[in-house]
Formats: sequence, structure tokens, C-alpha cells
Amino acid sequence: MYSWRFALPGIPVAMLTVAIPLANRIEPRVFGIPFLAAWIAGWVLLTPLFLFALYRVEKRP
Amino acid sequence: MSASSIALGIVASIVAGTIAFALASLRRLPSDPAQLVVGGRSLGTIFLWFLLAGEVYTSFTFLGAAGWAYGQGAPAFYILAYGTCGYIFGYFLLPALWRRAKERGYLTGPDLFADHFHSRSLGLITGLIQTVSVIPYITLQLTALTILFSISGYGSINATLAATGAFFLITLFVFKVGLRGAAWASVVKDIVVLGAILFAGIALPVQFFGSPAAMFDRLIAIHAPLLTFKDWTSTHGLLWYISTVLLTGSSFFMGPHSIAATFSANSENTLRRNAIFLPFYQVLLLLAFFAGFAALLIVPGLSGTAIDQSFLLVVQHDYPAWVMGFIAAAGVLCALVPASALLLASGSVIARNVVGTFIPYSSPRFNETLAIRLSILAMALLSLVMWWTVKATLVTYLLLTYNAWAQLLPGYLCALRFPRVPGHAVLVGMIVGIGISLLSMSYTLPIAGINPGFVALIVNIASIALITLISKPRAELA
Repeated sequence: MYSWRFALPGIPVAMLTVAIPLANRIEPRVFGIPFLAAWIAGWVLLTPLFLFALYRVEKRP
Repeated sequence: MSASSIALGIVASIVAGTIAFALASLRRLPSDPAQLVVGGRSLGTIFLWFLLAGEVYTSFTFLGAAGWAYGQGAPAFYILAYGTCGYIFGYFLLPALWRRAKERGYLTGPDLFADHFHSRSLGLITGLIQTVSVIPYITLQLTALTILFSISGYGSINATLAATGAFFLITLFVFKVGLRGAAWASVVKDIVVLGAILFAGIALPVQFFGSPAAMFDRLIAIHAPLLTFKDWTSTHGLLWYISTVLLTGSSFFMGPHSIAATFSANSENTLRRNAIFLPFYQVLLLLAFFAGFAALLIVPGLSGTAIDQSFLLVVQHDYPAWVMGFIAAAGVLCALVPASALLLASGSVIARNVVGTFIPYSSPRFNETLAIRLSILAMALLSLVMWWTVKATLVTYLLLTYNAWAQLLPGYLCALRFPRVPGHAVLVGMIVGIGISLLSMSYTLPIAGINPGFVALIVNIASIALITLISKPRAELA
């Protein structure tokens, strides 16, 4: 009941920490940016979506 | 006109313009402690966003991010990741912290320790930890100012003197205007910094290599190993990265200035909305990495402190003085605005939780506001003296700043979520955690590259859990 709240934003945290060994490479490059840097920057940009989704779900009566 | 007078003239006008804008935007000067320290808990979503972005992104976020990219490569990416994790943790932590502060009238983090655990000495100890640990952080901003003034002055002025003067100016500014003034200054700072970082991260690679993608082509050809982590257990390996992001992310809001900014929000949802939108500003750090990588290709072979100046040296060498002036002004604001927030927050902790523990304020409103203002001056003088006397060694203690802040986190969590935990458990955990952090500075601990602060935090939490289990439940709390 309480713990599911952590699951949604837990995804970007996991992708930015424990998943990094899986993204630790240069190819494929994204817009010329090496994969590792693009992976991290991509999840930083996706984080607001996850937090916003949680915000909306919590607002629902 | 010489290059140095053009560049320094621009720096001086932008700094003066920022202060004038902030003074003009204030409707009235703060007259009670809550207005001075937490802006009367009245900041809306957008205003708070500017303040948080203003104080989180210091000179060493940008110079350091570019410098790390230049010197270390991939490990620098932790700077991009930890702030984002910090906002995610903050989404859960800050609303609860704000609610308690509003209910109980807290102005500082140690207020919560003293009140919740019924222990003025716990408030005193956490207050001392916060203020002592702030000093290396402030002196680092002074060092950054010196670098910026010496580069933008093209060596023609005494940079130490200029840095001291600028620091003195911002001290008087925050002495007078408090948190709302710092927030207005942040508005200008965030916009100027946005311009500077777009220039450094996009214009530099485009002008020298054609595009950022072409810059990475060159970088991969020459420095491919720099762009990924080498292995799991080396000094800046994968385990170091993961533990550092978790440690610095979870303690991202533990600095006294971040606590004050949290308390200044006008509602819980203001804080949630800020946690949602701040990662968009965070992604600008990617451009700081671009600037550092560009500098690595343009001026290779820098070492020591010159690494943090890498892209500034490119600007100084290859661009007109007015560009140098604008970039340096952005850097100077990045040092001054966070310094003002740090001085204000640590001044309020000294007045309320250190001095205030021994001397109760008899006529609270007038006396306490004055005490906070005087503590801001004392903090500024103390930082200057420390900087003048032991500046070389202080930079190494910056790690301790973050580690010390992180060790306060379990205390906040216990106060907000685990009412059974007694004050002495939090105290022991904190002391053990800080002890391990201190030890790790003198001895290299054999822990496979894991950040010692992370180990300290785990031991801290384990100590609290153990002591709580063997202590009697706190009967007095409902």
C-alpha cells in the first residue's frame, strides 16, 4: 500500500546507479555522444516524467 | 581599452547589476528571524526553483564538472547522476521535512534535532557539525573567485584581493536582505549561467570541431578509454561510481542552505514540483562535460589546479575580452550566490543552535534577528581567515563536508519516519559515521574503491538500528 510509491521513481535511480555496468560502452553513439554519457543524460531527462507520473497518481482522490 | 579592463568591467557590471536587481525587487527588508532565514515560508514554485538552482550549482559544479571531464573522463558523469537521484530522494523527504518545520516553527535543521529528541545538546552538536563543515565549502568558492579574477584580469590585478572584496560585498548583501534577496540574485545568476554554459558546451565544440559529434569522433580516436569506466574496483571504478551517486544523492539536500531553502517553500507541493522540474537544469552539466572534453583536445597536457581552468584558458586565449568577461561573470555569480546562501544558513545555525543553546534570547524578535546577522559576519570572517591561513589543505577537506552532511541524514529520517528511535542512538550513529569518514582521509581503506562515506553511512544506520533495538521504547512520544 505504501511501498509501491517507491517503485516508480526507483526505476531512474536504478538506471543511474546499478544499471551503469550494463551501459558502460562507447557504441552505439546517440547523436554522436558516447553511449554511457547519452544513457546517463537520457535518464536524467526522463526522471521528471517518472516523478510527474507519481505526482499525478498521488493527487488522485 | 585593454583586454583586462573590458573583461573585469563586464564582471563588475554584471555582479553590481545582480545585486541592484535583487535590492530593487525586494518589497521590504526582513525584520524577523523567519523572514531573514526562510523568507517567511512564502516562496512559490518558480521562485524556489530559481533559488534551488541558484545555490545547488556552484562554481565548482561547472568548473569542477569540466575539470573532471578533462582529467578523469567518465567518472565525471557521477555529477550528472547524483543531483538527479538527489531530486528523487528529495521528492519523498522534503515535503515531510517541510511539514514538520512549519508545524513546529523550525528555521534550521538542528532545530528539528533539538526539538524532536528533546535534547538541546543534540541541536548544539548537529549545529556545530553543520557550521564547521560549511567552512571548506565557502573557502572553495573563494578559491574559485581567485581563479576567475586572475584569468579574466589577464594577470593584471591582485586576484586574492578582488576575491576578498567580492566576498565582502556579498556578505553585506545577505546580511541586509536575507533569503528572499539571495533568491532574487539567483534569478539573474541562473539566466547568466545558462548563457555561459550554452556557449561553453556548444559554441566551443562547434567552432573548433564543427559539431559536438565531430568533437567526440576526435576524442574517441585519441582518448577512447577515458569515455567509459575501466573496471569495478579501481579508484574511480564502477563500485566507486555507484556508491558515490547513492551517498551524495541521498544527502543532496543535507547542507544547511538546502534545508533553509526547503523551509522557505510555501507548500509541500511546491517542493514536489521543484523535485520534478530541477532535473531539466541538471542536464546542463552535460554541456560542462562537453566544454571540458573540448578543452582536452584544444589544450592537452594541463595538470593540477590548471585542470579546473581548462575551458576558461581556451576562452581567454581564443575569444575577445567581452566573451571572457561574460563567462567569468557567470562563474563569479556561481561562487557568490551559493556563498551568500551558505553564510545565511550557517549564520542562523550559529545564532540559534550554537550561541542560542547557551544564551536564550530575551526579547526574541529583535535580538535573534540581530544575532543571526552578526553570526553571518562572524562566519564570513572565519572563512576568510581559514582561507588565508590554510587554504591549500582545506580543499582536501571538502570531501569531509559532503560526508559530514550525509551522516546527518539518518537523524532526519528517524525524526520524520521512525519515532521510536531515541536521540542517543542518532548521536552515536552520527559520531561513528563521521569518525569513519575522518579515518578514511588518513588511511586508505581496503574497500574495493567504494566511497568511504557510503560505508560510514551504512555503519551509521546499522548503529542506530542496533542501539534502538536494545534501548527502551520512548514512552513520551505518541
